[in-house]
Amino acid sequence: MSFSATGLLTASLLYLIVLFGIAWGTERGTILRRWVRHPVIYTLSLGVYAGIWAVYGAIGMAADSGYGFLAYYLGISGAFLLAPVLLNPILRIGRAYQLTSLADLFAYRYRSQWAGTLVTLCSAAAILALLSMQIQAVSVSASLLAPDASPKVISVMFSLTVVLFTMLFGARRHQSSGNHQGLVLAIAFDSLVKVAALLVLGGVILFNVFGGTNGLEEWLTETSHPEATMAMAINDGSWRALLLMSFAAALVLPHMYHMTFSENPSPRALAKASWGLPLYLLLIGLPVPLIVWGGQALLVDAPPAFFSIGVAQALDSPALTLLMYIAGLSAASGLMIVSTLALSGMVLNHVVLPLKTPRDQGDIYRWLQWVKRLLIAVILFLALLFHETIGRHLDLAILGAISLSGTLQLLPGALGVIYWPEGNRRGLIAGLVTGLLIWLVTMVLPFSVAADILSWMKLPITPGYDNWHLFTFISLTANISVFALFSIISPASPEETSAAQACSMGALSRPQRRELLAASSNEFVQQLAEPLGIRVARREVERALSQLKLPNVEFRPYQLRRLRDQVEINLSGLLGPAVARDIVKRHLGFKPLTHGGTGQDIRYVERALGDYQNQLTGLAGELDNLRRHYRQTLQNLPIPACSVGEDGEILMWNHAMESLTNISAEEVVGAKLLALPEHWHALLDDFNRGDELHRYKHRLDLRGKPHWLNLHKAALSGPDHPEGGSIILVEDQTETRLLEDELMHSERLASVGRLAAGVAHEIGNPVTGISSLAQNLKLETDDPSILETADQIQQQTRRISTILQSLMNFARTGNHAHANRYEPVVLHRCVNESINLLSLSDKGLGIRFVNECPPDLQVLGDEQRLVQVFINLLANARDASPDGGTILVSGKADGYSAIIEVVDEGSGIPADQLDHIFEPFYTTKAPNQGTGLGLSLVYSIIEEHYGNIQVESPSGPESSRGTCVRLRLPAYEPEAETGNSRPNERS
Amino acid sequence: MYIYRLVFLLVLAIYIFSPNILDWWTSPENAWYSPYVIWGGLIAIGFWLEWRRDPNEF
Repeated sequence: MSFSATGLLTASLLYLIVLFGIAWGTERGTILRRWVRHPVIYTLSLGVYAGIWAVYGAIGMAADSGYGFLAYYLGISGAFLLAPVLLNPILRIGRAYQLTSLADLFAYRYRSQWAGTLVTLCSAAAILALLSMQIQAVSVSASLLAPDASPKVISVMFSLTVVLFTMLFGARRHQSSGNHQGLVLAIAFDSLVKVAALLVLGGVILFNVFGGTNGLEEWLTETSHPEATMAMAINDGSWRALLLMSFAAALVLPHMYHMTFSENPSPRALAKASWGLPLYLLLIGLPVPLIVWGGQALLVDAPPAFFSIGVAQALDSPALTLLMYIAGLSAASGLMIVSTLALSGMVLNHVVLPLKTPRDQGDIYRWLQWVKRLLIAVILFLALLFHETIGRHLDLAILGAISLSGTLQLLPGALGVIYWPEGNRRGLIAGLVTGLLIWLVTMVLPFSVAADILSWMKLPITPGYDNWHLFTFISLTANISVFALFSIISPASPEETSAAQACSMGALSRPQRRELLAASSNEFVQQLAEPLGIRVARREVERALSQLKLPNVEFRPYQLRRLRDQVEINLSGLLGPAVARDIVKRHLGFKPLTHGGTGQDIRYVERALGDYQNQLTGLAGELDNLRRHYRQTLQNLPIPACSVGEDGEILMWNHAMESLTNISAEEVVGAKLLALPEHWHALLDDFNRGDELHRYKHRLDLRGKPHWLNLHKAALSGPDHPEGGSIILVEDQTETRLLEDELMHSERLASVGRLAAGVAHEIGNPVTGISSLAQNLKLETDDPSILETADQIQQQTRRISTILQSLMNFARTGNHAHANRYEPVVLHRCVNESINLLSLSDKGLGIRFVNECPPDLQVLGDEQRLVQVFINLLANARDASPDGGTILVSGKADGYSAIIEVVDEGSGIPADQLDHIFEPFYTTKAPNQGTGLGLSLVYSIIEEHYGNIQVESPSGPESSRGTCVRLRLPAYEPEAETGNSRPNERS
Repeated sequence: MYIYRLVFLLVLAIYIFSPNILDWWTSPENAWYSPYVIWGGLIAIGFWLEWRRDPNEF
């Protein structure tokens, strides 16, 4: 059964148009877009690994060596089952630093453009063989179906379609996600077609050829020779080599790296693929023995590798035949598209850009896109050339072996990225060159151009189809040994060490805290404009700012360093890590170091540790908990504290500092002290630079009020912390200072009081004498004018005596020593006595006093002094009351307190005077009316009695006049029955 | 890093003994599909490990 060349070509084109349609529909945002991020699509897209091996190669190998073909699937299955320790770290690094290929990863980790270029050249050489294998499979399968079709035409047509597809859907990236969404879905569709076609063929063979599982068992029993039943012993060497190459393929094959890491939608998808891809490969490998046996049972005369098409032809089913052809086509096209795309990215970043940086380009993005398209065309042209000159003469299996053993040379370096921070660029390059040379001499040259250098050198062993695996191991061993040896004996640069730590498992990068030349994000744009052009520079800086959620213009040094890193990461996605690093290093430089070294970026490390929070286990987790504990202690310290790096950058700003300064930590941490508001900057910067370790009572006016601050400083440097810097504590002493002022004021008043008492005592005696003499004078004369004068003298001396008495009373207060002489006092009686005393005076005769104190309300105190309190309060009330007014004294018990209120109907006290009425010598009365000591005396006496006093004016919420003075004194409660003693009281 | 060394040793051991393991899988006494059953079992373990894994774990 055969097809016409035109029919076959039409079928191929139709299939490829469906592929175009899927990719185009996805890019246009149709319903297909929703599926792209699904883990199933991601897993299926990883099926690109199988390539034509799935449809042809595996069957050929199964016919030759039995179950040995499984090595090609089991190796990569193992790598995916180990994803948490093998693939996830690479995914993490790739996503963090926008590394889109293995060459990017190597260039980033080993800080060497040469490493990237070498990886690219190695991959390119290996990929040419792999591409040739795909072209060969398609052209051979086509010529089996349409013997009259020219294999060359088929190869060229097929390659052209692949070029077109890759150019259209591979060269541009989706702006937001950075993925080629259309391409991913198309590749997933390819994988689906492959597995479905093979399962259908397997099913048809099982049921149509063997008549079910029983028929198959019978056939296997009848056909007992090992070649037919695939029971051949496995060749250990080639099995191991294939298993290792397949394992390495997950990391080092450009198309696998691209699909696994660059097109990965989320770490979750990779976790699902860790068992999803092995399952897919199991399904694809399951029909292989059936197809081999089907071919043998039907006596198919096609080469075993093409049994899938041969069996379908033998079954006389055009649909099945076409399906198998399409499966092969889809397998080949998927692998070619992805590997060409991946390789073109590598060549662009590591061969083209280092030679020609796109300066002075109007639109760098467009330029990159076109260069990439050109590279895709060049790569596929070279693959076609290789196929026509060399590849088509070689066996599919040996093409695969050459290709995979070439990329295997990248495995030591790739594992070194995650697991061996000591490995360095010299070791890597030396190892790679050694491995690749051996590979070239023992694998590439003997098989491709029959240039067997080993036999020319008369060595006992020469490469052949049965011992190629030996040379794979020899080249790999030499590679690893040289890599290890050179890495150990040669030193690594600090930059490389830092990158190694950033990449190695569980390690954190510890960047240095250095100051950038650019002082703001705007200066970033200006500096980057030189290599990138102003438009691209602005766009890249704005993109990085928005990714980091920073304001449009950023000044803080810490944030500028983050911005610099982000710009480098973004440029790395665009131009590759080596070129990006070069641009950033050259144009966004650091200021030269002024002295030995700088501190580590504590904040950066802290932020990174914060991201790791849930991933730290065991000792690391415990240490992290300790770190958090101490950090929280510092943050919640009730004393304002901040720590400052040696260069004046603020590293810590605790909560108390936030509330004292009203500046949030988010605003200032990572900024210079210079960025603080003027008064804080002046204070802290001056203190930080100065030699003094303590500064006391520094006055600072904040929000219009004076504050007094004590500052203390301690240097942070020590044996464990060589970087310097200091911690500053700021104590707010404002309240203490105000209390001190008040105390001094009170002291002064007390001195005045003592002085007054002394003076009063001394004046009292002569005044008594004058009063007596005036009395005598009155007795010795009848002259009315002299009598009046004597009266006036006596009146004035009485006044002097009253004032002196007040002064003496005032001076005597403040002495609590009397407390032990207190006795129960009935307040009702006290108030009555005060009213009686006041009524003796001729003043305020029209005022009515009402005593409503309950007779049982008692306090413990000195009755005479309490009477003094009420006399003063009532006299004040009387003086303020209008004629005919009422003064009400009421009392009540409130728990353990007795509350007495004196309410008048007078003019009240203005609010601004209320604060001062208890101050000594403060009076609102006319000069001859009062001394200003009355209320002050009241205050002192009440305090002596452990009470307090409140004044409200106006007296109530409903009235606008009057004053209410409220006294609260501890109430005295007499024993209910004096005869009963308490149980614990001694009788 | 301790756990990774253990994993590395395990992988190396499996790799070295893999031909013997496969010989055992494909021995003539077993059904032709037995390698696939064992392979499927490994995938099931992989699935189970992934399913019960803490999402924050590495």
